[in-house]
Amino acid sequence: MNEPITIIGTDTVVSGNLEGDEDLTIEGRVEGSISLSKTLTIEAGGVVRANINVRNAIISGVLVGNIEAQESVHLTEQGRVVGDISAPRVILVDGASFRGNIDMGDIDVDAAPQTTRTRSRAAAPARATEEPTAAEEAAPVRMRRPVPVRTPAKPAEKPAAQPAAKAAAPAPAARPLPQKVLNKKIPPAPKVRAVGKAKAKKKS
Amino acid sequence: MANTVIGSSIVIDGEISGEEDLIIQGTVKGRIVLKENVYIEESGIVEADIETSNIEVSGQVTGNIVATDKVEITAGGRAVGDIKAPRILIADGAIFKGNVDMDV
Repeated sequence: MNEPITIIGTDTVVSGNLEGDEDLTIEGRVEGSISLSKTLTIEAGGVVRANINVRNAIISGVLVGNIEAQESVHLTEQGRVVGDISAPRVILVDGASFRGNIDMGDIDVDAAPQTTRTRSRAAAPARATEEPTAAEEAAPVRMRRPVPVRTPAKPAEKPAAQPAAKAAAPAPAARPLPQKVLNKKIPPAPKVRAVGKAKAKKKS
Repeated sequence: MANTVIGSSIVIDGEISGEEDLIIQGTVKGRIVLKENVYIEESGIVEADIETSNIEVSGQVTGNIVATDKVEITAGGRAVGDIKAPRILIADGAIFKGNVDMDV
């Protein structure tokens, strides 16, 4: 009983602002805003319509609203979220439903490719100094790679041929998807809609 | 485990309503509407009008209390506001200021 745990039980509705420095478990309903310095758990059955600012969030229930976490947001397979998520770690497991944006902060997308490029460029200069004069007009020096030279007698030919070959084989550009795949991608009708209920109402 | 617990470091500004027991160790401002029992523990601070069936105050309450069954202010409890309930218990040591209406 001493460790601080806050629970909003299944039959309780809280509307307004909720803030604190301890773990919070929601099994019922909360509307408004939640601001915590610890972990928020929305259990299956819990419904939250609020903007949330927490350290960690584990969502097994329903959340409508934006969530900002200092550490992580975890959507379990029962979790349903409509809103934007902003957190350095976002975990969506198979079965979780989500609609909105995810912002994991500044991600250096080019980081990995750049390191390899700089490495190959650094290796190049050894050769570049060998045969610059003859090749200069034919091809930009930059394009040369440290390829083993089999015919050192004709150094000028190699660099000229190489860029041409490169241009002939362009990177596989983004080709439009075949129609079959596009058709396949159309999702089935959302399971959330209570079609049955609506029908039942009309009958009565 | 069907209870609702508002922990000691939690502050709620708004309305709490429901049909199960509510234990308040933290701070609640606004309004509480319940059909079950409300327990305001020693560390609990409530600045709200409360409608419930049973309420036990061991912490601090500022606001009007309407209970359909019973209001109890324990020895450590402190309440400021009007109380309306058929049964009202104020223990020795409890602090209370306000009107009491037992519907006599």
